[in-house]
Amino acid sequence: MNQPPSLLLIDDEERVLRSLAMLFRGRYSLHATTDPQTALDYVGRERVHVVVSDQRMPQMRGAELLREVRLRSPNTMRILLTGYSELDAVVASVNEGEIFRFVQKPWDAAELRDTVQQAATISHALFSTSAQPSAAALSAPPPQREAVLVIDDDESVYRTVSDLVGEAHPVMWARSVDQALELLQTQAIGVLISELSVGGESVTALLKVLKAQYPEVVAIVLTPFHDVSVFVGLINQGQVFRLLPKPVRRGTVSMSILSAIKHHRSLRQAPERVIAHAVAPLNQVEEISLASRMMGLLGRLRRGATPA
Amino acid sequence: MMPEPRQVATATSDIAQLRLDVRPLSPGTSIDEAAELFLHPSYARMLCLPVVEHSRVIGSVSRHQLNGIFMRRFGRELHGAKPVIQIMNTAPLIVDEMAPLEQAAGYVTTHLGSPITEDFVVVRDGRYVGMGVVMDLLSALQQRVESSSRQLGEAYRQLKASQAQLVQSEKMASLGQMVAGVAHEINTPLGYVRNNLEMIRDVFTQSSEALREHDRMARLLLDPDADEVALERQIGRCREQVAALDDLALLDDTAALFGDSLFGVDTIKDLVVNLRNFSRLDQARVASVSLNDCLDQTLTIAGNVLKNRVQVIKRYTEVPAVACSPSQINQVLLNLISNAAQAIEHDAGKILLRTEADASWVRVHIQDNGKGIAPEHLKKIFDPFFTTKPIGQGTGLGLSICFQIVQGHGGTLQVVSEPGRGTKFVVSLPRRAADATTTAAIAA
Repeated sequence: MNQPPSLLLIDDEERVLRSLAMLFRGRYSLHATTDPQTALDYVGRERVHVVVSDQRMPQMRGAELLREVRLRSPNTMRILLTGYSELDAVVASVNEGEIFRFVQKPWDAAELRDTVQQAATISHALFSTSAQPSAAALSAPPPQREAVLVIDDDESVYRTVSDLVGEAHPVMWARSVDQALELLQTQAIGVLISELSVGGESVTALLKVLKAQYPEVVAIVLTPFHDVSVFVGLINQGQVFRLLPKPVRRGTVSMSILSAIKHHRSLRQAPERVIAHAVAPLNQVEEISLASRMMGLLGRLRRGATPA
Repeated sequence: MMPEPRQVATATSDIAQLRLDVRPLSPGTSIDEAAELFLHPSYARMLCLPVVEHSRVIGSVSRHQLNGIFMRRFGRELHGAKPVIQIMNTAPLIVDEMAPLEQAAGYVTTHLGSPITEDFVVVRDGRYVGMGVVMDLLSALQQRVESSSRQLGEAYRQLKASQAQLVQSEKMASLGQMVAGVAHEINTPLGYVRNNLEMIRDVFTQSSEALREHDRMARLLLDPDADEVALERQIGRCREQVAALDDLALLDDTAALFGDSLFGVDTIKDLVVNLRNFSRLDQARVASVSLNDCLDQTLTIAGNVLKNRVQVIKRYTEVPAVACSPSQINQVLLNLISNAAQAIEHDAGKILLRTEADASWVRVHIQDNGKGIAPEHLKKIFDPFFTTKPIGQGTGLGLSICFQIVQGHGGTLQVVSEPGRGTKFVVSLPRRAADATTTAAIAA
């Protein structure tokens, strides 16, 4: 990186922009604006490595802006900065914006500096890799079909998923974390569809550890629970692909599974792109201890659909 | 030889529980025989005995009737051998075993003569099954009434308790909404103020380091014995420090942060003052306030709901202060303004806030250009528990509480709405200070 990476800041409060500009002063080629449209035009015109956007703005929500950024420039890493974590914002930032990090105001200066730096490094690497896999390559199924693993107490979820994609993909069902781990070791799982807890045990740690170790496995969370802080953890530390509400809406679930499979294939065909989903380290004691238990088991996980 | 009359325990209906097993007279039973039966201790309570033929009740003979016969001279000798059918009452009180207690009691008391000379006959599907004593019926009814009124009292207490709970949860819900809004409003200035402070600290550390190096250089310059090389080196250090401060440009940029930070802290201060004014937790419950001020305070709190989505147009006129409970009136205004914002589902949302006063009222109009309220819902919007929101998203109490609060102030809350065009609520409060009872009511 001879030239400093490019950083784009969007917030409707100019004082936030000035403050952030000072924080990143000298390290980045900086562009700051209060107008989302100007920001989008800029992303379309120039190579931007990292975008940090506010959620609430008069003209456009941040999640929406980041979705547009993703469409215009998939290699640009997206960070959402919000004053108050509303559920809608969190869910939209995942499902639409596929964001890298969700950061809450007031932020920690050093932490934000590190996060942006990490995002810039990743984006730089993504821009230097070869072009993305072609659409044809993505729709061509690999020799062995990727399996879809449903982690849920509720059998009807398993049945629905089997109905939806059972013809094209093997669908497995786990009713406990241990069962899920066993299936992950023995089967070539590409996509997970998971509740947040199963058999009375939380699945969030599993999802986070799995993403840290096997970023090409793509997770969809399907749950009636709406705990914003759990969701934020799943974004930052688990890089979940979709957050879907229960009761299950077949259309949405079906579409999400298809794009998850496509995403999984693109990650497998261009492994250098998995860095886009680098996760933040775990910080909760109970999750860390659970993680170390899973680590041992996951060490034997079968990687991918085709033998390496 | 005579079966004991006993309460029939197997029955479940009210009347069945009162039923006594009484062997009936047959039409041919003589008056003498009937009199003998009345003397039997097991029939001591009975005022009359039924006359039954083929299970059908055809009449009754009362103690009172027999007294009438026997008290006449030679009455027993003249009439004792006659069958009871000749003297019986052919219209006895007949109650179906399955009749509800209240209905049976109603029938019996209407048809009962005075003095009470008869019992009632209990039938099942028209067939005789036993007798019942009027007093038993009445005391059963009294017990029923007592237990009902006890249950009613209990239900009333429970209802009051759960209503209080619901009102409280509605308050908590609007408080939660308020906290969410204020948290967002505060976190933005807090975010940049905190960030600025961290950066100012870094620059301060660098600047003090630079100042120290310059101080050392000044000392060296003043020192006649100073070594040229040492001076050279010190100048180099000073240049480095200045370069680290971006040739002092960093100082200018940092200076700008002070203005922003003070602005941010003032913003937070204003929010907190508004929050305090809004909740009035530390102030008199009843105060004389301008509804214009109340609207402005409410707008700050509702800012989060409105910001970026809805244009607020204020058309205030100078309105006289009204005596009210400002925290309650603010609660009403917040509720109406949030509802207005929620009713707007398009991008060109507007909320018009208008205040006006006439000789006796001060009015606040809150008008939106949202989706409006369907005519069939409009009648019910002030009813407790009426809501069109999905389960879990509204208690349905918001507007009913608003209505109560405004009513408690001696005012009115009115609504007009047109689906697709918008809704207008009008809060009218009396100009004159509320009388003592209302004041007490709103202060409670």
